[in-house]
Amino acid sequence: MMARLLISFLFIAEISYAQTDWVRWEANQVSFELPTHQNHDYTVEKSSFGMTLLSVFRNTYYFFISDLDGDNCPFEPSCSAFFLQSVKETSIIKGTLMFADRFTRDLNFFKGMNHYTLLASKKFSDPAYNYTLHSAKIKF
Amino acid sequence: MKIRFTIIFFLYAFIFSIKAQDHLSIQLDYANNLFNSRQYYDAITEYKRLQFFDSTKTFNYEINYKIGECYKAGTKYDDAIKYFSFAELSARNEDEYCDSKTQIVRTNILRRTTDRALQLCDKLEKDQRFNGKSDQINYWRGWAFIFADNWENAAKSFDKINSNHELKKLAERTDKAKVSVTFAKVISYILPGSGAIYSGKFLSGLMSLGWNLLSGYWTVNSFIEDRVFDGVVAAELVWLRFYRGAVQNAEEFAIEKNLDVSNKSLHYLQNEYKGIKP
Amino acid sequence: MKTKTNKRFIVAFFFLIVLLNTANCQLPTDGNIFSPQNRLQFGNFLYKDRDYLRAAEEFKEYLKNESNDTIVFRLANSYFKIGRFAEAADNFKGLFFGSQFSEETRLLFYESIFFQNDYKSLRKLAEGKIYSSSKYANEIERLKYTSYFLDNSVLPDENIVLKYFPDSVQSQMINFYQQKKIPQHKSLTTAAILSTLMPGAGKIYTGEIGDGITSFIATALTTYLAITNFNADHQFRGWLFSGLAAFFYAGNIYGSASSAQIYNAKIQFNFDKEVKLFFEQRNYFLPKIDY
Repeated sequence: MMARLLISFLFIAEISYAQTDWVRWEANQVSFELPTHQNHDYTVEKSSFGMTLLSVFRNTYYFFISDLDGDNCPFEPSCSAFFLQSVKETSIIKGTLMFADRFTRDLNFFKGMNHYTLLASKKFSDPAYNYTLHSAKIKF
Repeated sequence: MKIRFTIIFFLYAFIFSIKAQDHLSIQLDYANNLFNSRQYYDAITEYKRLQFFDSTKTFNYEINYKIGECYKAGTKYDDAIKYFSFAELSARNEDEYCDSKTQIVRTNILRRTTDRALQLCDKLEKDQRFNGKSDQINYWRGWAFIFADNWENAAKSFDKINSNHELKKLAERTDKAKVSVTFAKVISYILPGSGAIYSGKFLSGLMSLGWNLLSGYWTVNSFIEDRVFDGVVAAELVWLRFYRGAVQNAEEFAIEKNLDVSNKSLHYLQNEYKGIKP
Repeated sequence: MKTKTNKRFIVAFFFLIVLLNTANCQLPTDGNIFSPQNRLQFGNFLYKDRDYLRAAEEFKEYLKNESNDTIVFRLANSYFKIGRFAEAADNFKGLFFGSQFSEETRLLFYESIFFQNDYKSLRKLAEGKIYSSSKYANEIERLKYTSYFLDNSVLPDENIVLKYFPDSVQSQMINFYQQKKIPQHKSLTTAAILSTLMPGAGKIYTGEIGDGITSFIATALTTYLAITNFNADHQFRGWLFSGLAAFFYAGNIYGSASSAQIYNAKIQFNFDKEVKLFFEQRNYFLPKIDY
């Protein structure tokens, strides 16, 4: 039994080693620092006047409400970020419809049983590009 | 005559082996040059070439050790440990054994497999070959604790080396600068926003307190004026939300603050500390 | 007598030197560790050790000075093994004519095109009988028909496709063929119309029952609140809830259509995954070739 385990271990180690060097690699310095928490992205979109206005609204919402009322949105991206992404990917009208649909889905108490992929952050993955009605953009 | 030929033969054999050895030494130098110029992938190729032609296994330890170092420099820690283990097996004396073993500990520290690093340190402490090297073991144990963000135990480990050890002082300073996550949460339950202020987020704490006071007023006022529906809605959708948010934020900010403190020290260790690092 | 003994010693000495050199065969006897022969030895060692990229480098250097079909094959196969299929295909091509590996390299060339996911080129080459192999004709045909299951091309006739696959997997292949030919998709229009008629119905049609019920409740509740507020002459609240009702209603129609599309994409995704796994587990019904 032990011999088998040892052989399996050596075999796996051998395979993993071979694959390490199947692509050339360079020296790489790993940071000693610990990963920090990702805060809200306050970047102001400058692609158009509408987007600038929307991102300013979003930032105001982040600053006065979202950053203070705790982690309530079970999705990633959050509803506000989803709205901005939707508008960016489509138009203000289509983006609003996408947001309305997302908002309704957020109200569903049993969304955990739904089709969403659970991310490492324990949130449901629900990117805006899946809802643009362009099948080529859908990714799982 | 016979003796003369025997002498010539052995002389030839000796010269031959010296000549081969010389070629191998040149190859080792070549591989080491690549290693020193940080071309680690190519260095491994040349070390392997040397290993292949070194039929007497003269350079086996050096080769395995250096390949381990190459992988370590490329952050391929699993492979690095594999080769340091080979080096350990081909060690010719206690110093080489200790060096390769220490490298395994150091790689485990970098890989953040702290439990394994600590386990190895404990094992080395009992190993007779490591007699008189307890300072070295405590040093790496301290680093393992640092990488596990356990500064209190790190300070204890460095203290065993020297009560004035530079890293002991740093670990103690770091540990002292941290805030209590539990305390931040508890005070936020009592006074929303206070946990955030305790963690250094004054504006957020004050805004949180403001929202809680305002929504609390709305709720209480609605009930006083017999507007039960409004009261329930304000309590559930506004007050409770901001109250829960204040507690969550207190915890998050305290963790964030502690991470900042740790990262400041880790940044110093990586970029400014002059001593030996994992 | 003495001269004779001396001669005998010289001969014995000479043989001993040869023996010594042979015994140390791994040492670079010519004094050059980078000589073509030494590179070949080292390359072969790396190849056996599955260190293919390094092996390829050694073979490439060796082939600058020497010509050897087996090594060209190993060079191509090294690239193939590490997923550099374009380079593998180029090197396999070099052995198509006048080589003992002609048949094998033709199949491996097709495999290289296949694993680049360049199915159109593969089918074009196979149909044109370009670089065809008499020994591996069936394997190439099978590869061609396998490719139809892995992209969006229209499937040829069932009998033609299936005849190249073994009997043991026929029922599974028929199943895949049917799924590919007639996928169980949901209509986006139907989903949208259903939700227009009754909020949430489109979502239920696409299998999102929870979302459907939630949509219905949200739309119904806000509509009810709008009506009651208007009746109570609360104009602002009436309009506020009307807006919300419209927001939920329109969002649900759009969401039902997108839900149908996601449902269809998921069907396709799962099918692709299942097919890929099926073929991968069977190594795409390809023979193992190595030298």
